[in-house]
Amino acid sequence: MPRLPPSIFWRARREISPVASLLLPVCRTLQSTANELRWIRDHVHRTPSVIPAGIRIWQLCEERSRGVPLQYLLKTQPFGPLEILCRKGVLIPRQETESYTFHLSSILSSSSSSSSSSSPLTILDLCTGTGCIPLLLLCCSQKSSSHFSCTGIDISARAISLAKQNLSHNLALIPSASSSIQFIRGDIFSTKFTSEIYAQHLPDAAEIDVLTANPPYISPSDFRSQTARSVRHYEPRLALVPDSVPSEVSKKYGCREEDVFYARILEIAGDLKPKRVVLEVAGWEQAVRVVEMAQAQRDTRGTDYKVIEIWRDDVHGVRDAGESTEIWGQRIRVKGEGDGRVVYLSRLLD
Amino acid sequence: MAMILPLRPPFSSLLRLRPFPLVTTSLQLARPLSKTQLPARPKPPPDSEIEESFLKGSGPGGQKINKTNSAVQLKHIPTGIVVKSQATRSRSQNRKIARDLLALKLDELQNGDQSRTAIVGDHKKKKAASKAKKSARKYKKLAEEKAAASAAAAGGLTSGEEGTQPQVLEVRQDIEEDDWDPEEQEEDEENHIPGDAKIPQRDNFRDGDV
Repeated sequence: MPRLPPSIFWRARREISPVASLLLPVCRTLQSTANELRWIRDHVHRTPSVIPAGIRIWQLCEERSRGVPLQYLLKTQPFGPLEILCRKGVLIPRQETESYTFHLSSILSSSSSSSSSSSPLTILDLCTGTGCIPLLLLCCSQKSSSHFSCTGIDISARAISLAKQNLSHNLALIPSASSSIQFIRGDIFSTKFTSEIYAQHLPDAAEIDVLTANPPYISPSDFRSQTARSVRHYEPRLALVPDSVPSEVSKKYGCREEDVFYARILEIAGDLKPKRVVLEVAGWEQAVRVVEMAQAQRDTRGTDYKVIEIWRDDVHGVRDAGESTEIWGQRIRVKGEGDGRVVYLSRLLD
Repeated sequence: MAMILPLRPPFSSLLRLRPFPLVTTSLQLARPLSKTQLPARPKPPPDSEIEESFLKGSGPGGQKINKTNSAVQLKHIPTGIVVKSQATRSRSQNRKIARDLLALKLDELQNGDQSRTAIVGDHKKKKAASKAKKSARKYKKLAEEKAAASAAAAGGLTSGEEGTQPQVLEVRQDIEEDDWDPEEQEEDEENHIPGDAKIPQRDNFRDGDV
């Protein structure tokens, strides 16, 4: 990261505000500093307090200058039309997640209108965090006639309680949510996980239509060298690095440390047999590794994914360039722009 | 004039010699466009004509970074117009804002003087001019009244109480005659709408780069 010249600090003080020079080292550019300061001010003026607004703005800028994520300070992050509550200890929803969730929703609505079945779509979201993925899928389905039944699972009690709060916080946008979403605390690495899921939480579901997951996927060395300071210091390591998994478990799968969640989720997918699987990944190399893991299941477990796609960072609303690649002799469509972000597996030819 | 006079407060005939703008006259004049009569917001062009980019830096993404930059830039391919929005933290909302902005720019390009931007701008300019004129007149009058009062006080000191009253009236008559400009009055009337207060001062129309 190049050093910022002192002149830019003077410009920030002069052209934006004296407190702007606090934000500059984290925001890096004058434009982004001006934006963040504007959002901080809006937040302060929207939320009444006995502390004078000027002092609160200064306090927030000071905390932000130490690297605290803006979303933890403002306590929310927009996610499509939703406002997702954010709190320390739970990963902040990312824009890439928003983009591919929209894309998934458009795939689901086009396929549900063609099949015209009346039974609700069952969605299982593992490592749900704030619950943003099932909430946005449900919100998008409000416009179409399809009905969803969503289950979000996370190991963190904080995440589950926040996800439940997010559900009630956005109830005005998704009135059907209270009956069609449930958030449950659970450990996907427990051996009884799949049987428990069916027995306790999905008693009447014939099959799962969509399995989504945004698991921890950063390797410990990438965590040290590639993550942003604010992510490293203030966001939960539990949601970022999969090293909370016992080493004997990860040895069992015989994969890289950062891929252990994918190995387990694909194993769960082999049992639950969802029609579609959507997995967020760290980048192109990991996407290719996950595709290979999914293809390997064809031989070992007979799980045949007819369609395999890799979606890049910006996939929603981006024109399809018709890009494709080949992994182990199977043609893989590549959609969107940016780095590899999602591995999409489907048993249906659509 | 005879009809109008009884409507005035009893002492106003002493102080003001020019007729007050009354409701009866303003009704006959053409009204400016009210907000509902303004042209509708133009529809954004189809997505096939738009090239969208999200202006983000290179390097890792996803969980590894937490960017707050939600800027959206649109390029209209047939005309080459580029618009950008970073108004909100929500990228979805910025996409919508940028599309609306692009629609206005295209409308401006196609319709020129008859575009929504031009008509709204014109409307706003007229309102602002009328407001400025009214306030200038008010302060001018106040200043002159003050000057007259001080002149009267000065006169009272020199010639005693008897001469004060007629002098003031004389001064005021002069002021009113100087100030009254029939043309100006006419123009001002045009901008006077009975339901003026209902129109918000700021249309939520956005201009330029937000």
